[in-house]
Amino acid sequence: MSRRGLLLAVIAGLVALFAVPLLTDNDYVLALGISFAAMSVLAGGLNLVWGYTGLLSFAQVGFFGIGAYAAVLLVVDLGWSLWAAVAAGAALSVAVALLVGYSSLRLSRHAFAIVSLSFALLCAIVARDWPDLTRGSMGIPGLPPPTLTLPGLRWRIVDPADFYYLLMGFAVIAHGLIYVVVTSRLGRAMRAIKLNEPLAQSQGVNPLSYRLLALSLSAALSGVVGGLFVFYLTIIDPSIFDFYYTETMLISVVIGGPGSFWGVLASSAVMAALPDLLRFTTDLRMVLYGVALIAAMLVFPGGIGGWLYRRRLARWRRPQSQLQPQPPQPKAAP
Amino acid sequence: MDLSFYAQLLLNGIVIGVIYALVAMGLSLIFGVLEIVNFAHGEFYMLASMLAYFLTAHWSFDYWTTIVVVTAVGLAVGYVLFEGLLLALRGEAFERSILLTMGLSMVLQNGAVFLFTTTPRMIETPLSYQNVQLGEVRLPVARLYALILGVAAFAALYLILHHTRLGKAMRGVAQNRAAAMMVGIDTRVVSRLAVAIGIGLSGLAGAALAPIYSVHPLMGFAFVFKAFAIIIIGGLGNVSGAAIAAVMLGVIESFAGGLLPLAMTDAVAFIAMIAVLLLRPQGLFGRGVRV
Repeated sequence: MSRRGLLLAVIAGLVALFAVPLLTDNDYVLALGISFAAMSVLAGGLNLVWGYTGLLSFAQVGFFGIGAYAAVLLVVDLGWSLWAAVAAGAALSVAVALLVGYSSLRLSRHAFAIVSLSFALLCAIVARDWPDLTRGSMGIPGLPPPTLTLPGLRWRIVDPADFYYLLMGFAVIAHGLIYVVVTSRLGRAMRAIKLNEPLAQSQGVNPLSYRLLALSLSAALSGVVGGLFVFYLTIIDPSIFDFYYTETMLISVVIGGPGSFWGVLASSAVMAALPDLLRFTTDLRMVLYGVALIAAMLVFPGGIGGWLYRRRLARWRRPQSQLQPQPPQPKAAP
Repeated sequence: MDLSFYAQLLLNGIVIGVIYALVAMGLSLIFGVLEIVNFAHGEFYMLASMLAYFLTAHWSFDYWTTIVVVTAVGLAVGYVLFEGLLLALRGEAFERSILLTMGLSMVLQNGAVFLFTTTPRMIETPLSYQNVQLGEVRLPVARLYALILGVAAFAALYLILHHTRLGKAMRGVAQNRAAAMMVGIDTRVVSRLAVAIGIGLSGLAGAALAPIYSVHPLMGFAFVFKAFAIIIIGGLGNVSGAAIAAVMLGVIESFAGGLLPLAMTDAVAFIAMIAVLLLRPQGLFGRGVRV
């Protein structure tokens, strides 16, 4: 697709997305849209960290939940405004991400994967066992509808349509930011680190700083999404750290193809609709996700993005003879 | 808060640390030999506990038979796991191994939830109510047996690794796979054995712990989280380091549990792991002898 065609397609897609609440007030459609907006940012963040810089992170759900808990506690307990609370939650997520990333990356990528998973599990355990702060496993139900105040505007976010605009608006900003990063010099450096770390290092690219940058950006985006999404849920409890979110993110990225911006976006749209398609088998949904992950790892490691990329390579490599018939070349002497 | 209270905390910590060691040594062994982080390790421990529960409660196996049967099943499962799944990963990027074992963990855990529900189950055996009295400190017999089994398993593993040809081959593969192949070591046999031993140790841990704690499908997840912390603290791939770190963590956790609020107790393993990574990234016992 040409640049111009891509731009037109993106604009058409955005117009269509933002027209949805005008065309229908069907709560189900809006709920799917909200869930897509939230999950696609989470998956995009994971894609940035894993797909571009090669760090398999299980910590994203921790950033999401920390953003959510921070926003809720600041709004409910201290009466902060939503803006400030969400920003503080994102900042906290970034601080935690830097701690997890810096400490484990001193050792290896294996250590990062292990520490990030431990971190996500720890978040859930602490949320459950620290009732003075988090109200324990009962959580905080009945969150008030938040209000966004801008100069000359007071927007009380109550209806699903309001949340749809809020989350979809943020998702567009977040994906725009990710797109800018991955198509810039930064993105090329990140890809270089993923492809060949020693080579990138020899060219003067410091892997640690790029990785921490990608991790912080994804933590900030996930934290903001957590802070906004939780007011749509109207309840927060330790299940905000549920492994379900991690699995959905992982499958979105694995199927979409790590390092493929559009592939991951498309697969997170499918994954947003999938839980409802699998409603007949709620109990076995996670088992199916697990089977999907195993199967993808065994037979389809690059995902859709990787498959398209390989096809494109194959087209470039196709011998000229198919286009212009040529007499077969004599084999060169060995 | 007298001396016997602290002695009791110390003893409990050692027992739980030895159980941690069983799981963590297997994890560390598999990582050392195959360079695979087995994220499904905790699920095998959980399934072993489940199996032990059913053997004891429904078929009224006695304690020692259950231990032997479950450990043997664990060894066999490790064999199948290697041949069935992990073999396909040889020489591949580590993300694939992590995601593969993660997927396996999801299937096993949620499959177990689906089949058995999350209701905790307790094993009632004659052992449950017997205690050994040591001065003022009491030790339930089930815990004493777990302690003995753990120490015996560690000793056996140490002897295998350091005093048999197979163990030396295993350490050789862990140190340098290519060089090991060059001198004629069959890495497939060695890797298979490492996975079988690793899962077998998980099985032993599950069976030994089943009479002490309640058994439920989510137990593996919380447990493997500590095992991860332990193998990082002990040095990735260092089996003896993992065993020592496990006992240390068990004791520290036990004291934290007696003296600190609950949320802090959970965080001990994580804080220790981060501290070790910041101060000594290769692990407390890293860089010495691997495996």
